[in-house]
Amino acid sequence: MMRRGSRSRAHWLIPYAAAGVLSLGLGQRSGAADEARDWLEKMNQALASRNYDGTFFHLSEGRVETMRIVHRVKAGRVTERLQSLDGSGREFVRNNDELTCFLPDQHTVLVEPRQDHGPFLGSLPRFGADVDEFYVIQSLPASRVLGRPARVIAVNPKDQYRFGYRLWLDENTAMPLKTQLCDAHGQVIEQILFARLEMPESIADADLAPAVRTEGMHWVRQGPTSEPAAAALSAYRAAELPPGFHLTVSGAQTLGGASVPAEHLVYSDGLATVSVFVEPDAAAQASTTATPSAQPEPPMEGLARVGSGFAFSTVVQGHQVTAVGEVPAQTVEFIAHSVKSFPPPAH
Amino acid sequence: MSEQIREQVSAFLDGELPISETELLLKRLTRDPELRQSFGRYALIGETLRGTGGASLSLGFAARVNRTIDREPVAPAAPAVRARALRWWKPIAGTAVAAGVAGVALVALQQRAVAPGVTAAPSMVVQNVRLASAVKEPISYTVPAPTAAPAMMAPARLTNYVFAHSKYSVGLGQGNLLSTLLTEDADDAQGAAEGANGNTPRASAAPAVSRDTQTAP
Repeated sequence: MMRRGSRSRAHWLIPYAAAGVLSLGLGQRSGAADEARDWLEKMNQALASRNYDGTFFHLSEGRVETMRIVHRVKAGRVTERLQSLDGSGREFVRNNDELTCFLPDQHTVLVEPRQDHGPFLGSLPRFGADVDEFYVIQSLPASRVLGRPARVIAVNPKDQYRFGYRLWLDENTAMPLKTQLCDAHGQVIEQILFARLEMPESIADADLAPAVRTEGMHWVRQGPTSEPAAAALSAYRAAELPPGFHLTVSGAQTLGGASVPAEHLVYSDGLATVSVFVEPDAAAQASTTATPSAQPEPPMEGLARVGSGFAFSTVVQGHQVTAVGEVPAQTVEFIAHSVKSFPPPAH
Repeated sequence: MSEQIREQVSAFLDGELPISETELLLKRLTRDPELRQSFGRYALIGETLRGTGGASLSLGFAARVNRTIDREPVAPAAPAVRARALRWWKPIAGTAVAAGVAGVALVALQQRAVAPGVTAAPSMVVQNVRLASAVKEPISYTVPAPTAAPAMMAPARLTNYVFAHSKYSVGLGQGNLLSTLLTEDADDAQGAAEGANGNTPRASAAPAVSRDTQTAP
């Protein structure tokens, strides 16, 4: 079971007003910034509550992928489908209960139960005082996207431990017609650009059904693990963190292929999120696993690129520690290196 | 890219292409991978010129780049990535990184600007692009190429980590990460087609199959 950390609860429930008073006291907040925030909030509402069906380009490193997103809210039930249109045939379908990833090229379907209901396109969380401390939010001159007038909002990181965003929001609907992920220097890392976006009153079931044929495919279920297994591992934490990051969730998670659950720690600065997975090392796994024929995986060490983010893996006290998130390389490396075992809580 | 399509792309990126023409362009782009690549480079150049990328490129700089290009043949430059960034995920206990061993998670590290603070793309390719809407004179430009080596591998474990992480990923990053999972294969296919430098460790991108695997009826 996943447990929300106390910092997390505090983060989500910090009264908006308190954040405002804090910022006003420091004299850092202007009317324009407030307006920018209001637009981000409108965008969040639109992404979560509206029906939409769009095709967008995902531009990264000079590569372009074309994707279709369908999002429906009907009788309180959200169903969403994200589909690659460029050949791999991969699709995600999500409803209130689970996320299913169809990988026809791998003859595999991954299923993961979900606790949150954020839209695929992602919404930004409410901006509290903690976000203010590490990001600057501002309005940029208005522009046009898809022939429509658009508000342009920038969320700029104040240091190099996180990425920023630039958002072009439809003046009428607040839908993000174009978004850019940027580094601390303002360089664009990744861009999502809509070529078509409809917001119909209703969306047919057929538009949300996966096009993939699943006959003969392997179904792999990942998910949270029982509490007793989690307790054995829950001694691992990051001893130090980049400024602004704090533990928001901790729990145990069975990853596909693993015989032993991994501890899953989630650290966030309010906007960027990093997951840390702590797993018993391969030798330990091999000795406890019931299937000796399963080949133990050797430990990993080093940095890997994950789309716009990074993963960093290292070995700490005989455990495989991997940090992954849509943050700069130094952030996952910092966090992975600082993970240590702590005495279990005394209760 | 034909002149007509280039104008369409330019208008689209400026947000001024009529909807009917946008649909046509979308159809073309979905059908034609080469056109998509050109489009991607063009979009990048557009951002750079507009300065929305934060680093507005002065024409003086562009001219210098241009002169450099004139002297150089069209060839990718040697990657100049910091040594630290060139490490691979590898078995620590093992003596060598064995390529293609099933079940062993190896990640081909992106051989590009992965080091903190390193933003210049070391792998460059020359593109001759006319930017009629942005500048009066046609100029040549240097833009980061799609990586010649496979940009990244998504071996089993990495895919599983990303998938498990995406649930907690707030913000637009989640969409980015999931989009990445949708497109990993394109990278694989591209890498395979290009021979992957011959010595690039590779791993199956198939997610590791857990013991509770079921086969659909």
